[in-house]
Amino acid sequence: MSQDTPRWRRAIARLVDASVKERLVISVAALVLAVAVGFVIVTLAGLAASCTTHPTIFGVRTPSCYDPFAVYSELFLGAIGHPEQVLFGTGTWTPLDFRVASLLRSTTLLVFTGLAVAVSFRAGMFNIGVQGQLLLGALAAALATVYAAPLVPGGVVGTLVLVPVGIVAGALAGGVWGAIPGALKAYADANEVITTIMLNFVAANLAYVAVSTWFTPADSSLVQTATIPAAARIPNVPFGFQPRDNFSLLGLLFAVALVVGVAYLLARTSFGYDLRTSGSQPEAAAYGGVKEKRTMVTSMGISGALGGISGAMLVLMVQGRWLSNLPQLGFDGITVSILAGNNPLGVGFAALLFGVLKSGSAAIGFGTNVPPALVDVLRGLIILFVAMPEFFRLLGGRLGVGGDVDA
Amino acid sequence: MTSISLSGITKRFPGVVANDDVTLTVEEGTVHALLGENGAGKTTLMNVLYGLYEPDEGTVSVDGTERAFDSPRDAIDAGIGMIHQHFMLVDSMTVAENVVLGNEPRKWRGLRVDREAARAAVDDLCDRYGFDVDPTARVADVSVGVQQRVEILKALYRGADVLILDEPTAVLTPQEVDDLFEVLGELTAEGKTIIFITHKLGEALHAADDVTVLRDGKTVGALPTADTTREELAELMVGREVLLDIDADAGAPGDTVLDVDSLTVTDGDGIDRVADVSMRVRAGEVYGIAGVDGNGQAELVEAITGLRVPDAGAVTFDGEDVTQRSRRHHIEAGMAYVPEDRHERGLVMDSDLVANGILGSQRAPAFTTGSRIDWQSARTHATDVIDTYDVRPRDADATAASLSGGNQQKFIVGREFERDPDLVVVMHPTRGVDIGSTEFIRERLLELRDEGTAVLLVSSKLDEVTSLSDRLAVLYEGRVMDEVDPDTVTEEALGLLMAGQHPEEQ
Repeated sequence: MSQDTPRWRRAIARLVDASVKERLVISVAALVLAVAVGFVIVTLAGLAASCTTHPTIFGVRTPSCYDPFAVYSELFLGAIGHPEQVLFGTGTWTPLDFRVASLLRSTTLLVFTGLAVAVSFRAGMFNIGVQGQLLLGALAAALATVYAAPLVPGGVVGTLVLVPVGIVAGALAGGVWGAIPGALKAYADANEVITTIMLNFVAANLAYVAVSTWFTPADSSLVQTATIPAAARIPNVPFGFQPRDNFSLLGLLFAVALVVGVAYLLARTSFGYDLRTSGSQPEAAAYGGVKEKRTMVTSMGISGALGGISGAMLVLMVQGRWLSNLPQLGFDGITVSILAGNNPLGVGFAALLFGVLKSGSAAIGFGTNVPPALVDVLRGLIILFVAMPEFFRLLGGRLGVGGDVDA
Repeated sequence: MTSISLSGITKRFPGVVANDDVTLTVEEGTVHALLGENGAGKTTLMNVLYGLYEPDEGTVSVDGTERAFDSPRDAIDAGIGMIHQHFMLVDSMTVAENVVLGNEPRKWRGLRVDREAARAAVDDLCDRYGFDVDPTARVADVSVGVQQRVEILKALYRGADVLILDEPTAVLTPQEVDDLFEVLGELTAEGKTIIFITHKLGEALHAADDVTVLRDGKTVGALPTADTTREELAELMVGREVLLDIDADAGAPGDTVLDVDSLTVTDGDGIDRVADVSMRVRAGEVYGIAGVDGNGQAELVEAITGLRVPDAGAVTFDGEDVTQRSRRHHIEAGMAYVPEDRHERGLVMDSDLVANGILGSQRAPAFTTGSRIDWQSARTHATDVIDTYDVRPRDADATAASLSGGNQQKFIVGREFERDPDLVVVMHPTRGVDIGSTEFIRERLLELRDEGTAVLLVSSKLDEVTSLSDRLAVLYEGRVMDEVDPDTVTEEALGLLMAGQHPEEQ
């Protein structure tokens, strides 16, 4: 970059060219900065609020109503149920605490949607339709297990059959739904951002109509499918959280396996090479003999399948049925993927951070007098600060800033 | 009177001197052509004049006053307007709205755009310069030629006295080109000054009063078109470089490897970029294609290498009709290709050399086990190419973007030559490459030929094609003008052919 390129362009170029190690440092620094800014905001908001008891920090009674130390202690330690209590002997905490389960449950589900978005991003496309793929994947998993249940015995054998059946059904449904915008882009030049957004609505309403017309049990007042058989639930092994926590370590292991699998697919296979080359330089991909249309459809299919698997896991591990108001994990997946720099291994950590923030926010609500709106501000700050550098990297890469210094 | 005077302009980018002590003098009321090949520095120079770039050295004078433009806004204020190659128009708005955009006449104390006044102003301009443009038509509905005129109107509306047109004919049909030149005549008759950038010397001769030729960022000639000829301009543009006389003996050609039969490539606007081209390249010979850039070479090569399906004709490679086959099939059948554009095509800039070394071979058995890439053998391969072709730095983990142009080119050449191909298609192999690497690449090319490989060499450097080729075709506007013997043909005759004339016609 020569001297007369604008400052912002040079700054972004430096971000684009940052190494993995630099990016990690940037992320951690951003997290620290977000906490620092949050500290100030909490203190200032506390000054503006009125209260009867003021917190005491380091023996000094503060004029502010809120205690930022307590807030961040709840956000990060409360998220897993205050394990430091064990150290100080002030409480009984076990790794099987329900808050740990809740944190890991969010993490597990977000890994799938994060991976789904990351795969599409690496292929140079933006799959905003993960939510739709999730909804249809969830429906397929619920229906497949409900209707397959009478054909298989119960117990362990049933689980060994039904869980894979549910996951495969979810992956297929999501995969087909994801491949549609891929094919539309490849063969009709339709922008996948637009088509995936639109297909979200189509999926949501299609599923709703289908379930309300055919699959809602007669005795149900809500639009939902029948509950899946107990054998189809992800078993709570190798060791148990409380059944009511709706979390299984097996689910987390499956998520980790997929993280490794997707990382392997991208980095080590010919298909991954094609996918990444198309994503970073389509002209070079065409030159290198990559079948671009086929790669587009397949990448979006894989992305959709991962979205569908998240839906299947939501049903098999958490909800136990398809409901019309399933959580919006598909959209969180976009943030998770950007936080992770679209790196599959990073998705694991980003999902964990997301899970901590989710679980920690709830803990702040219980443990402090800070209003929920302010908690959302703190959570948003962290995501914003950590995601921004990656976001600008992405944007800069698309604008063609950085990398080549040629005229 | 001198309208524009650029003197001693030098503009450097990291690793490249885009303009090197360039001088340009344009008389008021004339059409001035800025002629040169792609990458000669024409657009950079005009961006300096238009205030988009600040020159590292040199001065810009307008009407005899020295000026320093910080931005296009300053240039516009000084009466300079630029019409870019890609139009900057809002398709959904009318012609009149586009013309006044940013400088709208207002009414109601500036609250409302005065559409009537805008229309009247545009009508007025059209009358004055004899433009046949409907101000109320939507830009999306009018032809490319009219859109270009809207761009010109926009510049005139902002008070431009000097108009810079960047490759104005690139997007036009021949009829529209004639119309444009008529418009330029009317503009100069009204006292406007025109500078147009082009690499087509016919146009420069036809439409301009004076021409300045740039090559490799330097001014190599400034002369009135009345005093020059096509061949002189062609020679100036292409240039003669230090003679690297390496061609000793001719190759010993064998069987036909590549047979191109009546190939035609039509672009989106219905213009034939390649028209009915036929050629045969035999094993053990270098078949050269000479011509000024932009005469269909790129499209021809894309059709041969499988990046584009031709509109008519056939390509037969090693006895197999590959006209409709995929790019991957071409690679697997043994066709290597050193592309013209190493930044866009030849290399994945963000990837390291290990990954770049298997671009095109990512599914070849040599580098894969099943569907898995064997990165260890890919690394060995990249290191081999780096060693054999003297790529620096000697680091397979370096990203392609971090290499200099010459080293990037050596790496691509190495990767392609090491495929053990039956045919190598090489396009501008030494463009932007230093003398040492140039010599090296040319030697390798001849070695490959001597080993019995067929070579199709496309270059706009006269010396390169004449000294390396065993047979030589000259391409002009998508057609083969003639096939000549590179050992006996004179530079004059080649210059004429490249300019679209047969020597005997003179």
